[in-house]
Amino acid sequence: MDLIKSFFNLLADPRLFFLLTSGALAVMIWKRDAFARNVVGYGLLLGLTVFFLFGAFDPNFRLIIIKPDNVPIVGLIFLLLFFVWYSMREAVLNDQRVAAGKPPVEKEEENRVWVWPDLVYTELISLILCSVLLIVWSIVLKAPLEQPANRSVTPNPSKAPWYFLGLQEMLVYFDPWLAGVVLPGLIIVGLMAIPYLDTNPKGNGYYTFRERKVEITLFLFGFAVLWSSLIVLGTFLRGPNWNFFGPFEYWDIHKLEALTNVNLSEYIWVRALGSGLPSNWLTREIFGILVVLFYAFGLPVLLARRGLKRYYEKLGPGRYYVAVFLFLMMMSLPAKMLMRWIFNLKYIVAIPEFFFNI
Amino acid sequence: MAEKKSIGHAYNIDFLNVVFAASSIFLFVSVIWMVWDDYDREWKGYQRRFAILEQEVTAANLKQLDQTIDKAAVQKLRQQHAEAEKLIAANRAKVNEREQQVREFTNRLYRVNQDYQFAKANYDVNRYDFEARRNKDPERAKQDQATIHEEARRVMELQLEVEKIEAERAAAQAELGKFTGAAADSQKKLEELTAERNRLEKRLNAIAPSVVKDFFRDAPLADFMAPTIKVQQVITPNIVDDVNFTRVVKMDRCMTCHLAIDRAGYENRPQPFRTHPNLNVYVGSNSPHPMSDVGCTVCHEGMGQSLTFRDASHTPANEKQRHQWEEQYHWEEPHLWDYPMLPKGMTEASCAKCHKSETFIPNAPTLTRAYATYERAGCYACHKTRGFEGVRKPGPNLTRIGSKLTPEWVKNWVRKPTAIKPATWMPQPWYTSNSNGPEDATRNEAEIDAAVAYLFANSETYEPAVANPPRGDAGSGKKIVESIGCLACHVTGNESRWDAGPRRTFGQPLQNIGNKTSYVWLFNWVRDPKHYSADTYMPDLRLTDAQVADVATYLTTLKGPAGEEAKAQVDQKATDDVLFDYLSAVMPVEQARVTLSKMDGKAKQLDLGRRTIARYGCFSCHEIKGFEKEQPIGTELSEQGSKLTSRLDFAFVDIEHTKLDWFHTKMKDPRVFDRNRVLRPLEKLRMPDFHTTDEETHLLVTALMSFQRDVQPKQALRQTSMRNDALVAGRNFVSRRNCVGCHEIEGNGGDYKKLLSDESLGPPLLTPEGAKVRPDWLYAFLRAPITIRPWLDVRMPTFGLSDDHLNGVIGYFGAVSNNMRPFATHEVVRASDATATGAQLFEKLRCQQCHVLGAIPKDQPTSNLAPDLRMASERLQPDWILEWLRKPSDIQPGTRMPAFWPDYPKSFYPELGGDAAAQIRAVRDHLLTFRGGPNPKTQTTQIASPN
Repeated sequence: MDLIKSFFNLLADPRLFFLLTSGALAVMIWKRDAFARNVVGYGLLLGLTVFFLFGAFDPNFRLIIIKPDNVPIVGLIFLLLFFVWYSMREAVLNDQRVAAGKPPVEKEEENRVWVWPDLVYTELISLILCSVLLIVWSIVLKAPLEQPANRSVTPNPSKAPWYFLGLQEMLVYFDPWLAGVVLPGLIIVGLMAIPYLDTNPKGNGYYTFRERKVEITLFLFGFAVLWSSLIVLGTFLRGPNWNFFGPFEYWDIHKLEALTNVNLSEYIWVRALGSGLPSNWLTREIFGILVVLFYAFGLPVLLARRGLKRYYEKLGPGRYYVAVFLFLMMMSLPAKMLMRWIFNLKYIVAIPEFFFNI
Repeated sequence: MAEKKSIGHAYNIDFLNVVFAASSIFLFVSVIWMVWDDYDREWKGYQRRFAILEQEVTAANLKQLDQTIDKAAVQKLRQQHAEAEKLIAANRAKVNEREQQVREFTNRLYRVNQDYQFAKANYDVNRYDFEARRNKDPERAKQDQATIHEEARRVMELQLEVEKIEAERAAAQAELGKFTGAAADSQKKLEELTAERNRLEKRLNAIAPSVVKDFFRDAPLADFMAPTIKVQQVITPNIVDDVNFTRVVKMDRCMTCHLAIDRAGYENRPQPFRTHPNLNVYVGSNSPHPMSDVGCTVCHEGMGQSLTFRDASHTPANEKQRHQWEEQYHWEEPHLWDYPMLPKGMTEASCAKCHKSETFIPNAPTLTRAYATYERAGCYACHKTRGFEGVRKPGPNLTRIGSKLTPEWVKNWVRKPTAIKPATWMPQPWYTSNSNGPEDATRNEAEIDAAVAYLFANSETYEPAVANPPRGDAGSGKKIVESIGCLACHVTGNESRWDAGPRRTFGQPLQNIGNKTSYVWLFNWVRDPKHYSADTYMPDLRLTDAQVADVATYLTTLKGPAGEEAKAQVDQKATDDVLFDYLSAVMPVEQARVTLSKMDGKAKQLDLGRRTIARYGCFSCHEIKGFEKEQPIGTELSEQGSKLTSRLDFAFVDIEHTKLDWFHTKMKDPRVFDRNRVLRPLEKLRMPDFHTTDEETHLLVTALMSFQRDVQPKQALRQTSMRNDALVAGRNFVSRRNCVGCHEIEGNGGDYKKLLSDESLGPPLLTPEGAKVRPDWLYAFLRAPITIRPWLDVRMPTFGLSDDHLNGVIGYFGAVSNNMRPFATHEVVRASDATATGAQLFEKLRCQQCHVLGAIPKDQPTSNLAPDLRMASERLQPDWILEWLRKPSDIQPGTRMPAFWPDYPKSFYPELGGDAAAQIRAVRDHLLTFRGGPNPKTQTTQIASPN
């Protein structure tokens, strides 16, 4: 039993956890025909249920999942999995129909709308059941009130509301001005920009994957992996001092993690050139600044010539640049994560002189 | 779901009907559940149970009252009433007629009075209008003046009429009263006699169970109107809760369940319905801490607003109670309230929130003993503590250690002090739980050797006043030690520290002192302690040199175990290694190496000794040369009781994460939190082990919990006044100089009396001292005590207090008696005629049978003897003598002095017309004519000491 627990503790290491979720997404898309089968979907839900039931026997795991703040996240895991599977199943079925020369299932009975009594009745029932759920929830789970707030004692760990835990996870890798201001701003701007960037008329009003491969894959990566799974990680796996704890691990406040991260400038000047850090910040950080400039402005150009040439031609320069820029910004998180994990890289550009770090 | 039916529905409507019905039922059930969940509160059950209990208790009280009520008196009043009723019946016609008259007047009065009220109301309105108009435009308003005057006149007329009818009605009532007065009178008396009974009966009716109350007023949802069970609370305007960002007045709801907390009569009922155990001091409406002003949680802590057992943060007093609560109330360790309730036996810690810096608080015996223990253990020496500033270092002065002790003895001593003196407060710095492994022995011994070497190398020379004292007789020395009062501060036998208590461990325990030091030193010390150590608190017992020799000889016979032997050999390398660790902690390693290599063996040892003493903070408790300016090494504890649990490091010790558990664990083994940790020697915890018993731990934790942040506003604190300040300072002084070791003052202390077979042979009670003796006499007495009761063995030592302290003590006694006046005019007593009567009475009452008057009365047991009356004129306050003669036991309960005037102000004796007050005065005046008794004032001038 302990072996299984330590296995899961191991899996939940943020590095493995991130790689596993990304890998799972890739496998799901790659083997989507198999994934869309009922037995896989219900099997996954069943497996997840078994996992939580099994875990509930462990005091540490139980403590973390039945905490009233965390219960919605348990729900989120199930709902996320179910809806990803369900939409993928519908998409796969439609793709099969289209491949067989039939229209998508939504096209049938196109001229009929099931309002009365079907829609109204089911809405009424849903309303009642939601009321029941909320009432029972509020009776069973007491409000998670804590002791009076104290300006000299911050809770440890201090966690953001659950929907911001993904952002808080970004703070591990980026400075607040990036993780808290620029990147969330770009998320909103990016979401607003989607209708103008994505001019593909297909997939409108029906489920499909084949006709929108890149869009769906990107969306799932951004939403399921970068946003939702980081919320799960932040809720269940981040403990005191924002240290990482496995789901079956005791949250010991004394646990330490070695913080031996280095900046890019130190890699270049101290390790590669062996000449020590220059005192002038511009000289010192010039390589990092060049890398960042290249990433934001050079890379899109390079990609337009090679790799994404097709998109460049399809979207035109303006739209192409915005799209690729947003994409690169999204990818900066996993990029920074990988660099942190592999090279212990702290900052690419580190200018503490005016609190500017990337 | 997706199966679509071709008949025009996406879903099976019959099925949806079923789903709809089922979900509606769920909704209905969950709404009922919600209402019930909201209604079903823990405290309501307690209130229902209490209603039954209250009924039972009230019925029992009523029954008891019925038995105690004066039945004969009731019967008599009833008879009188019946008689009076007969008078009314006999004059029925007249009575009826007059009653009719009164009724008519009343009706008229009602009508006229109403007219008057209306007229007055209208007049007030018009008058205001008029005033406002006139203010704006005086000219135009003039025309309205007459109207207003007319209106005022009308109001006055009506008022006169009302008064006239009232007078007429009163006359008619008086006429009626001629017949009915007697009946009303007896009725009133009867009601007075049975008032308490009627009150109880009314209450019993009010709390009796009823259908309306139980099934309607308290029903779910209907209980918003007028429920009989409801939340009870007090809001205390001057006592606040600190919720970090602001302070809010306290709102305590404890009495929602503890319903009888302020009512006598529930003392033996089960909790939560028990009466507070000390209503006279707490909670009672006449107590100094009434519930309406003070509430509950300012003393008990816990969350006053909470209404459930668990959220109120009750704290169990012991394991058994913990398990019981877990079963009975689903109790859990409270983690969500920073100040959980103090467990039973520790509540007195909260006294200090308002009684700041008072080491003795009346009615708080636990806290008083806790502070005495805290002081004796010397906690304040390493840990700065508010209220303990300026208290002397608790350990002996070590600047002359060379002439007193041998290095060997000191080493054995510090390895384990309790092995040599079981009652000592000296803690153990080495061989504790984090330094008792076999690998620690060499390091320990190196540090011990070095520290001791440092002490002896830095010891001043001391020339004893008597270099070759003669030997004495141990037997008579033992008698002296056990009778003159040494045992008030010192322990000689095998008593444990706890049994001896903080007062009797005030001085060093004398256990095993024969092994400790030399005869010469002991002789010189007992002879004149200040000769060796000018600042010592050890007083001069005024022994003759022969007696001193006896005592010193006896002390050399007190021998016991030699203590712990060295557990490892220390060679130069060991010293070097340890010193290198110390050096490399404060300087670069290479520099440490160089520094080390420059020193020779002796220098290394002394340097290590200095660093060891600095690290363990020996200098915090002892005067040590070279450490005069060092700061104490411990954490400040002034607000330790308010420290948040999150600030405490529990390391790998598996205990509940609460403040109390941490404190207890720390006190039981101060270095336990090093357990299982990998630490370099100098990183280890260094608080020494006091080997406290569970009781001592409890007291020390109580003291810690009393050190609270200042939260309560000024209005809540004890008011400052000259008297209160003198009280606080004096209480601190008499406990810090251990006066209370011998004397009982304000109900505190007098421990020495417990060692005596007959308490009347002990040191006198000093509570009334301020009213009793004259300040000038007391000053002289404290400077140079004289023998007041020659038949006592125990004696008042000479303390050599400074004038500041003497005045403090005198002021304190004055404050206790509310008699703070160093100067007072005492009436001049002449041998007048009254004095002659006084002399007669003096003979008649046979005062001399017990009181000394030059010679000690013979044939009296020593417990009956009383002080020389020739001292009275110099010593006693004349007013006090009057009080004393009138009723001695009021001033000193249990005194042997008889009360000669038990029937005061009447007297058994015929003199002076049998007037007790005059007789007492005469006796007093006679007493004050005596002269020639022992007098400290004449001595003071002789012993003009240089301080």
